[in-house]
Amino acid sequence: MESNLTDQEAALIRESIRSKYSQVAATGALSCFQYPTGGEGLRQQQYPPDVIRDFPQALINSFCGVGNPFSLGPIYPGEAVLDIGSGAGLDALVAARLVGPGGRVAGLDVTAAMVEKARENAALLGLENVSFQVGEAEALPFPDNDFDVVISNGVLNLTLDKGQALREAHRVLKPGGRLQLADMVLVAALPPDKAGRMENWHQ
Amino acid sequence: MLQAGFHRASLNAYTGFKSSPYTEGALFYGEKLVDLKAAAGIPTQVDQLEEPKAVECAPGSA
Repeated sequence: MESNLTDQEAALIRESIRSKYSQVAATGALSCFQYPTGGEGLRQQQYPPDVIRDFPQALINSFCGVGNPFSLGPIYPGEAVLDIGSGAGLDALVAARLVGPGGRVAGLDVTAAMVEKARENAALLGLENVSFQVGEAEALPFPDNDFDVVISNGVLNLTLDKGQALREAHRVLKPGGRLQLADMVLVAALPPDKAGRMENWHQ
Repeated sequence: MLQAGFHRASLNAYTGFKSSPYTEGALFYGEKLVDLKAAAGIPTQVDQLEEPKAVECAPGSA
């Protein structure tokens, strides 16, 4: 699962991913992906309408998740939740609503522009139990045994060292903690002319 | 996920969202094992148990 990329290739991929998601931060996700995004994506993935009803339209439009991590199990009031790759903050803000004022949520993203958007969205919703910071999934800036739940949505496939990212998620979970993950997986072998292409990293 | 230490790791479902003809969204679940020994203070076979104390028996006692 570890990467065989050269440092130069890894840097190029990281930069292309940051560039794409900076564009999504600026314009929303609506023409950036080949699957439903925004409100239609949320509806198809059955996000709870009562939780997202008052979310700003720009936040709704930013949704480019590939599934619904909350469909994997309940998030309880008072819990601590980490969202790896929080983007403009939609999943983290859903979690903040679910854990309530007695809980806490941390969102982490590699794109500074996304972190700024997420902070703005939290402020618009008046949610004070959620924080956002820049960081990478392979080196989570949190202590061991810190969270009850780790969620992530369409992000692990963008990490260069998926094994390390999963070890880090395991490290920061409390004993008994849950990983609830939505992500892209290969369901068929790539044809030779498509394998190994840079654009495969951010379709 | 298993190699990272997760317990009950599973691919629960596909989401129907495809980013290409070769890729599709999927839902994964896993848990970090509860440290039962720490949680309950239950000694295990690897714990060093105290040596049993000798008890003197008085003649005629049970």
